[in-house]
Amino acid sequence: MNKIIMDDTTGRDTLQPALAIRNLNFWYGSNHALKDISLDFPIHQVTGMIGPSGCGKSTLLRILNRMYDLYPGQRATGEVLFDERNILSPGLDVNVLRSRIGMVFQKPTPFPMSIYDNIAFGVRLHERLSRTEMDQRVEGVLRRVALWNEVKDRLNASAAALSGGQQQRLCIARTIATRPEVILLDEPTSALDPISTARIEELLDELKQEFSIAIVTHNLQQAARCADRVAFFYMGELVEVDTADKMFTAPHAKRTQDYITGRFG
Amino acid sequence: MMELPSTITPGDGAAMDRSARGRLGDLVFGMIARLAGWFILLVMAGIVIVLVSGGWRAFSTFGPGFFTSTAWNPISNHFGAATSIFGTLVTTLIALVFAVPFAFGVAFWLVEMAPPALARFIETAVQLLAAVPSIIFGMWGFFIVVPFMAHYIEPTVTRYLGHVPGIGLLFRGAPYGTGLLSGGLILAIMITPFICSVMTDVFVSIPAVLKESAFGLGATRWEVMRQVVLPWSRQAVMGGIMLGTGRALGETMAVTFVIGNSNRMGWSLFAPGNTIASLIALEFPESAAGSLKLSVLLALGAILMIISFITLACSRIFLQRGTAN
Repeated sequence: MNKIIMDDTTGRDTLQPALAIRNLNFWYGSNHALKDISLDFPIHQVTGMIGPSGCGKSTLLRILNRMYDLYPGQRATGEVLFDERNILSPGLDVNVLRSRIGMVFQKPTPFPMSIYDNIAFGVRLHERLSRTEMDQRVEGVLRRVALWNEVKDRLNASAAALSGGQQQRLCIARTIATRPEVILLDEPTSALDPISTARIEELLDELKQEFSIAIVTHNLQQAARCADRVAFFYMGELVEVDTADKMFTAPHAKRTQDYITGRFG
Repeated sequence: MMELPSTITPGDGAAMDRSARGRLGDLVFGMIARLAGWFILLVMAGIVIVLVSGGWRAFSTFGPGFFTSTAWNPISNHFGAATSIFGTLVTTLIALVFAVPFAFGVAFWLVEMAPPALARFIETAVQLLAAVPSIIFGMWGFFIVVPFMAHYIEPTVTRYLGHVPGIGLLFRGAPYGTGLLSGGLILAIMITPFICSVMTDVFVSIPAVLKESAFGLGATRWEVMRQVVLPWSRQAVMGGIMLGTGRALGETMAVTFVIGNSNRMGWSLFAPGNTIASLIALEFPESAAGSLKLSVLLALGAILMIISFITLACSRIFLQRGTAN
């Protein structure tokens, strides 16, 4: 009944995945939040995760960069393979992991520092760059997120003065500045207006040339527009994963069908 | 829509009655509250008037030289405020040097690292420490801190730092145990709980997602604390430090026990000294009404109050800006 339907055109056999989840279980204390999840995140694709609130999609995202480590009483079993290593293994250096698997949050979270330093912050944690190299890195990522022209004259101004959409693009720039392989986005446009949202979506389309992307979204249209593959979660289980086209036109599972046609959620 | 119970229907007799009584209560309560508010102003004005008018004779006798003179001679009636102002500022500074990092360490550990059950326990202990009466700190300091300083800390510090050019001057002299350093240390212990609880409150109030963003870039706990949490809470932390400073400036009993109470001013932190508050506490019973000495003590009180007001004002400004963020 809870069988996972793998898509055979972009499934794990045909493309080496950036991240591969195998038999993952997760607990908040005694609450079994994710149940036996296996899912691949193909390289240079956008994998969308959808499902009703509390279905475990955000939880899954927070496992992929070990963010759950910060909180006592949360634990995971199973495997998440990244670069041929299990990122759940205790010996792994989470600080390095998080520089290789970046994360963008629901609300823009600029640090209380200048625009320049917001980007340099993450880079400085992991690399020693000369002033010129850092300037180039900052300019490069700001151009990448189409923010350079808007902020180039006020790089030393506080990031808090930017608009919500600009702040979120800054946060994406900050994330890609450490040159990660994977970017995790947790409902990145839920606090933004439609125009800012559209710009972020365009940006994701460009960024996937370079990065593998996992995005959690409540917005089904967004999943349909941005994602190459979509995974549907329900009550801690992965119900179905398929290409976005198939998922939204001919889903296999009844529950998926009900959800995408708006019968619940 | 829900039906209203008939007893509170508008226009009901009972409701009218209640409102009349309520109006009288409102009037009485309003008057009491207003009186209480004005009374505070009255008390403040009373304190200022006593200090300024009582201290006027000292200010007019010695002029501006009162602030720079180190004299303290009740026989020839020569008095100066410099030594006790110096002692007050130095002990407060020593207290801050020790208390700020200590309080920061405790707060950081409580918020970021300690297991929740243990953190609650330690937080309660910190609050209890704040509630210990200062006379207890004084006695404890006299019987524990002073001998400990005299036998272990001061001789050791003198041996290693006494010969260093420059700062060596601070650590020379006989290890009495009582002195500016001991006074400052007692103050440090006393103000740590205040600074610590302000820091704990602001560190807890930081949005989790802001910290997670920094962790998400691969920052360690310390890097998150130093580069994100501290800048974010800088104002409020400064406010907390000022609050502790205000307390250290005026603290009397504990300091009187351990500072040595000698009207000397020098480089050595081991040497006995005094503070404005400890000087007043000791000399007040020996000052005849109407004497110049009594006027001097009131003048010192006025100076202490001005210093405290400035500190309090700074803390208010910082705390306000901190919460405005």
